[in-house]
Amino acid sequence: MFRQPLRNAKERLRLFLSECGRRARVLRDSLRRQPNRIDPSLRFVPGFRYGYWEREARGLELLKEWLSPEQFAQYDAKSYFEVIGCHSGKRYRVSRGTSMNIHELDGARCPCVGWCFVPKGHLVAGDIMLAQKIALETNERGALAVANRFPVSTGRRNMLHYPAMP
Amino acid sequence: MATQIVMDRTGDTRHNFDAKNADALLKAEERFRELTGAGFTAAVRTASGEAVVKRTFDPNAEETLFFPRLVGG
Repeated sequence: MFRQPLRNAKERLRLFLSECGRRARVLRDSLRRQPNRIDPSLRFVPGFRYGYWEREARGLELLKEWLSPEQFAQYDAKSYFEVIGCHSGKRYRVSRGTSMNIHELDGARCPCVGWCFVPKGHLVAGDIMLAQKIALETNERGALAVANRFPVSTGRRNMLHYPAMP
Repeated sequence: MATQIVMDRTGDTRHNFDAKNADALLKAEERFRELTGAGFTAAVRTASGEAVVKRTFDPNAEETLFFPRLVGG
């Protein structure tokens, strides 16, 4: 009885998500074409705007200098790299970004929990990712103690996966 | 030539100094204390490329990286 409406709703959702993806790609391409684009969250930090790209590039250079050869290759190919927590031995994926860019991976290397911690101040993406890498590799517990957890959507189950309460 | 790299809003600021010069070394140690006292974490790289956090000034470190205190995002 409900099969047909369910099928219709599923199809509408598929089209909607497809359209969202298309719009996101258009927006991303248009932003790439604007050389003076800055992260909106940093727009009101005095003195931050000028030389944004130079600072971004320097941050990424520094990050690449400090990545291990495996991490460097992974980052170069996929825009993320994986680190192993020094205390738990768990694997984390650090994606390019400035917040909500760390995912704890399960045994199948699928993201199961998101972690968010950043160095204080307005730093560029490369610096933030480097600080996150060093923190997880040298003081995992300390880093996670200040971090906020967030749920991640898993492709396998096609639903939000909420972390257990501490 | 040794380097202290401090992450900041400009990307990073690099302080180069001659580790064989006593005055320069003293200044670098002072900078180390100031930054770690202000909540920065100091890290150096080992020969194998592994990052190690330093609580005290290492006069033999060729490159020391300082990043600000971590906060929940």
